[in-house]
Amino acid sequence: MPVNDTIQDLGLDEYKYHFITEDEPVFRSGRGLNEKVVREISAQKDEPEWMLASRLKALEIYNAKPMPTWGGDLSKLEEVLDQIYFYVRPQEKMERSWDDVPPSIKETFERLGIPEAEQKVLAGVGAQYESEMVYHSLKKEWDDKGVIFDSIEDGLKNHPELFREYFGTVIPAADNKFSAMNAAVWSGGSFVYIPKGVELDTPLQAYFRVNQEQMGQFERTLIIADEGSRAHYIEGCTAPMYSTESFHSGVIEIVVKPGAHFRYTTIQNWSTNMYNLVTQRSLVHENATMEWLDGNLGSKLTMKYPSCVLLGEGAHGSIMSIAYAGDGQHQDTGGKVIHAAPNTTSSIISKSISKGTGRSTYRGLCKVYEGAVNAKSNVECDALLINDTSRTDTYPYIEIEENRSNIGHEATVSKVGDEQLFYLMSRGMSEEEAMALIVRGFIEPIAKLLPLEYAVELNRLIELEMEGSVG
Amino acid sequence: MSDTSTIDQPIGGLMEGITDAFNASAVEAVSGGEPAWLANRRTEAWSAYERTPLPTTRLEEWRYTNLRKLLKLDRLGFDGVSLDAAVATGSDAEPFDLAGAPEALRAAMEADHAASGHVVEIDGRIVHVDLDPELASQGVVLTSLRRAVADHPDALDRHLATDALPASRGKFQALNAALWTDGVFLHVPKGVRLELPVRVTRYLTKPGTAFFNRTLILADAASQVSFVDEGLSADFAEQTLFSSAVEVIANDGAQVQYVSLQRMGRGVFHLQQQRTLAGRDSTLDTLNVALGASVARTDLNARLLGPGANSDMLGLCFGEQGQHFDHNTSQDHVAPHAKSDLLYKGALDGNARSVFRGIIKVHKNAQQTDAYQTNRNLLLSEHARADSLPNLEIEADDVKCSHGATVGQLDQEHLFYLMSRGLSRDRAERLVVLGFLGEVLSRLPLGGVVEKVTRIIEERLQHG
Repeated sequence: MPVNDTIQDLGLDEYKYHFITEDEPVFRSGRGLNEKVVREISAQKDEPEWMLASRLKALEIYNAKPMPTWGGDLSKLEEVLDQIYFYVRPQEKMERSWDDVPPSIKETFERLGIPEAEQKVLAGVGAQYESEMVYHSLKKEWDDKGVIFDSIEDGLKNHPELFREYFGTVIPAADNKFSAMNAAVWSGGSFVYIPKGVELDTPLQAYFRVNQEQMGQFERTLIIADEGSRAHYIEGCTAPMYSTESFHSGVIEIVVKPGAHFRYTTIQNWSTNMYNLVTQRSLVHENATMEWLDGNLGSKLTMKYPSCVLLGEGAHGSIMSIAYAGDGQHQDTGGKVIHAAPNTTSSIISKSISKGTGRSTYRGLCKVYEGAVNAKSNVECDALLINDTSRTDTYPYIEIEENRSNIGHEATVSKVGDEQLFYLMSRGMSEEEAMALIVRGFIEPIAKLLPLEYAVELNRLIELEMEGSVG
Repeated sequence: MSDTSTIDQPIGGLMEGITDAFNASAVEAVSGGEPAWLANRRTEAWSAYERTPLPTTRLEEWRYTNLRKLLKLDRLGFDGVSLDAAVATGSDAEPFDLAGAPEALRAAMEADHAASGHVVEIDGRIVHVDLDPELASQGVVLTSLRRAVADHPDALDRHLATDALPASRGKFQALNAALWTDGVFLHVPKGVRLELPVRVTRYLTKPGTAFFNRTLILADAASQVSFVDEGLSADFAEQTLFSSAVEVIANDGAQVQYVSLQRMGRGVFHLQQQRTLAGRDSTLDTLNVALGASVARTDLNARLLGPGANSDMLGLCFGEQGQHFDHNTSQDHVAPHAKSDLLYKGALDGNARSVFRGIIKVHKNAQQTDAYQTNRNLLLSEHARADSLPNLEIEADDVKCSHGATVGQLDQEHLFYLMSRGLSRDRAERLVVLGFLGEVLSRLPLGGVVEKVTRIIEERLQHG
């Protein structure tokens, strides 16, 4: 089609985060996962003995657990994992000023716009490159109020009691195969503590970049939002495109204390050679609110189901998920809400777009335990299919043990209607403009919740992805 | 989530469910005197049974029904031999004496409205068949499966446990295909329309035994038939297995309604496998009413094989203390331009539990599919539990698909409204439950069925 040719000439469909930085790491483990690698990581981090023991125990659990047979296609993953570098240390120590970050790495983050955003709209920034946080800083006013925003390693070093009290309590190593893997080889990620009653008016952001080929990134984040606090944490992820597969498996644990309000936003735009298998869970106490805003645009396969365990009376959990699956991509995403206390409420809203040979899957759980009286939950899933080669699935699990509750699930699957397209084109739009507008309208309920910069970026991405999709 | 961390042991510690009653010699005994094609089919089914592991809760389809806890295969007896001897004589079914029949069976049959024909099955053996002579003269066949083996071997060779429910579909499909003792064969020739339904009543008397029956319904092009299949028994202290395999084939333009009315007593494990094949422009509707048994598992796979095919799939269950219902449905859209619409509802009292797992599968090229799936559950007691898994797998893009599931309690506003009109709380609750379940019945208003089911539920609500 002529339109498609023109688009291709413009090169708009390219992944704009594909650039490789030439540099030499200061340390790199061998390929594959074994006890030696685990011991090396622990030694590199100069960890206390209990942490090494905990890592080795997790490795045992990992080895004992079978590879999941549900979700995406993991049949080639073992081969991929044998070739992966589990730990790559890019520089000697983490810096507090961009000026001290090695120029090649600094340039990478400048191209991603991180230092600029930090000055304008963020309360604090962490930047991870390969296996380590290379930069972490928090604005002074928040530091003065006792907010901790640090790399996970510094969290362990500088706040050992707090760290040990919560680490692995939300997501134990034995939770699943990949949480066990992460517990064995974790490196990088953030340690966040928001003191009682402190309300951050701008977000904290962590940015994750994988640069090397055949690299595995295993960030570990632990967040404690103390009573009555309020904060928003944003995570962004990119990597260059290689012909071989890379691997990312994070574990995010969040404790939301009574009356606190925490929002965790992910904009995942990994290159399409990335396996992205992440476990994210929050424990939500009395009258607290947890919101997950989960955007999955990149990766080859993502399996990720952010969850809220509503432990305290009046707790509220919300999961808003948006997935885009282009050619060859499988987004197996969704969310879990577990009602374990009375008067808890939750909502899951999921929107997905499948294009070309892309496949989006919603997989979710809504569980109400006996005794969680007056629990209310509503789940809505909408899927949009762009081509006849696209695929979508919906697998909700609804388990209700309490009759004094009110639970609903709804899903629809549709195609962009010829009538909608015709209407917009009759107003003078090209077919592609019309398609992009309809898709933007479809994701708007979620996009509008993003910080402005991200909403603009998401819309731009969708527009690019929709170019050349019709005709 | 269910307990998936432990590895399930084979039921009763026996490998793959081979017991004193279920084994190769039982298959041999039950197939004595049969033509080679059928004896071979049973033998093949038996080896499929032997090869297939018993389902565990690790399988998505059995996630919430733990057979290890719920089914004691090794304690069941099986009695296939005497039937074989009876059939080998090829004699006509003995005349059936309704007056001498068990009270519950008599009451069920007397409550039935007029029918095109009747079949009565007691303990897995057909004891009575009658059919309107006018229909018989038009070529309609209604007979026991045993007789059909002798009288209609070609149709059975072609369709029995082949296209719809072959042994390869699963462990219990295989067991039934190996050990069935009797069942119903209905064939409606091209263009013939049955105004009144065919009514089948099945009754069990022997506790601690396993019964296997099959039903094969063949509706030729542009024919029309409705089929009401009712199962009853007393309450049993020992677990009793009642396995039914139902195959329904609707050819081009045929209209078929299949209704299962399950009223088994406590102690019964009811295992029902149904598969419907809907041809071009056919209508193939099903209604599954589950009221009885201790455990009732229904697998319904509706395949839409021809363009223009249409399936309404309806179901309701009403459960009380000690009951476990599991409905596993699939809407399998193979052909384009077909429609399916599913509505399953459950009302659960006491510690009753219901599981609904449904999937809409739209195959590649099944464009212009309309497929809907709704599951609604009402929990009437604080110990009742409902699990719902409404799934979608869509591989074509020009489709309209949606699903919805809800679990909730009685609507307080509805109750308040009725009570403000002078009804007692009990009466108001009964009305709301009846209204909730009645929506399903109103979508397939078959003579006699709506009244019968409504009356049974009403009685049970009053006792509760």
